[in-house]
Amino acid sequence: MAALEAYASRNADEVHTDVLLKARQACYKSRDAFYDCLEKESNKKPTEIASVGLLYPAECKALRAQFVNHCRASWVKHFDRLYCKNKRVRRLLDDGGETRRAELKRSVLPN
Amino acid sequence: MPISRFLFFSSKHRFRQPLNLIRRFDLSKRTQSCSYTKSSRQSHRNPADYFLSPQETKASRSWSTYVIPAGGLLGLAGIATFVHYNDERRAVRKGQGENSGPNRVTGPIIGGPFTLIDTENRLVTENNFLGNWVLLYFGYTSSPDVGPEQVQMMAKAIDILDSKKNLKILPIFVTIDPQRDTPAHLRAYLKEFNSRIVGLTGPVGAIRQMAQEYRVFFKKVEDEGDDYLVESSHNMYFMNPSLEVVRCFGVEYTAEELAEEISKEMKKAST
Repeated sequence: MAALEAYASRNADEVHTDVLLKARQACYKSRDAFYDCLEKESNKKPTEIASVGLLYPAECKALRAQFVNHCRASWVKHFDRLYCKNKRVRRLLDDGGETRRAELKRSVLPN
Repeated sequence: MPISRFLFFSSKHRFRQPLNLIRRFDLSKRTQSCSYTKSSRQSHRNPADYFLSPQETKASRSWSTYVIPAGGLLGLAGIATFVHYNDERRAVRKGQGENSGPNRVTGPIIGGPFTLIDTENRLVTENNFLGNWVLLYFGYTSSPDVGPEQVQMMAKAIDILDSKKNLKILPIFVTIDPQRDTPAHLRAYLKEFNSRIVGLTGPVGAIRQMAQEYRVFFKKVEDEGDDYLVESSHNMYFMNPSLEVVRCFGVEYTAEELAEEISKEMKKAST
């Protein structure tokens, strides 16, 4: 009981506006713009470092700056991680598992 | 060569063992193989003993060699009873679920009393919500994508139920991130979705206790200074007016499906 009262009395009036609707929508928009740029320029060589191992070409640098600006840092990392995972799944699906099967054949068969 | 020895001894005993087995057990392969290994192990021991025994009689068998294994066994027994007692203490009784379906709650009783603070800084307990059909969701406002989607779905389902089916249910959002989700912040956040959603927060201890009662997993991940995400099991609990959980919904439901299932539940209960 006392803990509850203490919690209520502590000055808890701040509102984090960066997770409210408008901020979220701005974040999603800039995120989509950035990832679209990545898709478009996927044939260029990735030179810049994003986070959690994602690399991107220098053409998307401005969009990246906007993305990081509009979204929270933890969200940026979360979306980058999600993007890498999706890309890997897509690559596996497109491949049809061909490269993996070839690797397995080479490693398993005795020679 | 131990392998050849094993084969030799097991073949020697094979003639004797089946007779005993036929007399006592039915011919199940498992018991036979068990007895084979046992007999071969015993036969292993006997020749080895012949070599060891002359030396053993020389060394004095002090009583400490008996005490240490006995003490070890007692210690193990003690640990086992402690673990068992602990399990009993933490055990939850299995609920009596009359209907069986994919999402029926027939396992341990989910739910329990709670005392939290709502968005108007008032103290609320579960008694405040008795008599309403409740849709309960545990989330946090700083969720990047899943959280807002789920709350949006909840809000839409509430709207569908209100307008089309004329069924009133009470949506409750309990934050699992009470340090950042203050009552005022919750109010601003939930207002954007649906003004009827009740937001609950409180001190970390109360939240953790309620999460344990409702079997919700949540964990703070990846601290980045002040910023962090919270991993949680995204489940919505649908409770009847006596606040017993009748159904749980996962992330795979859309708003229409949710409304459909909820109205089905309510109709079933009123018949």
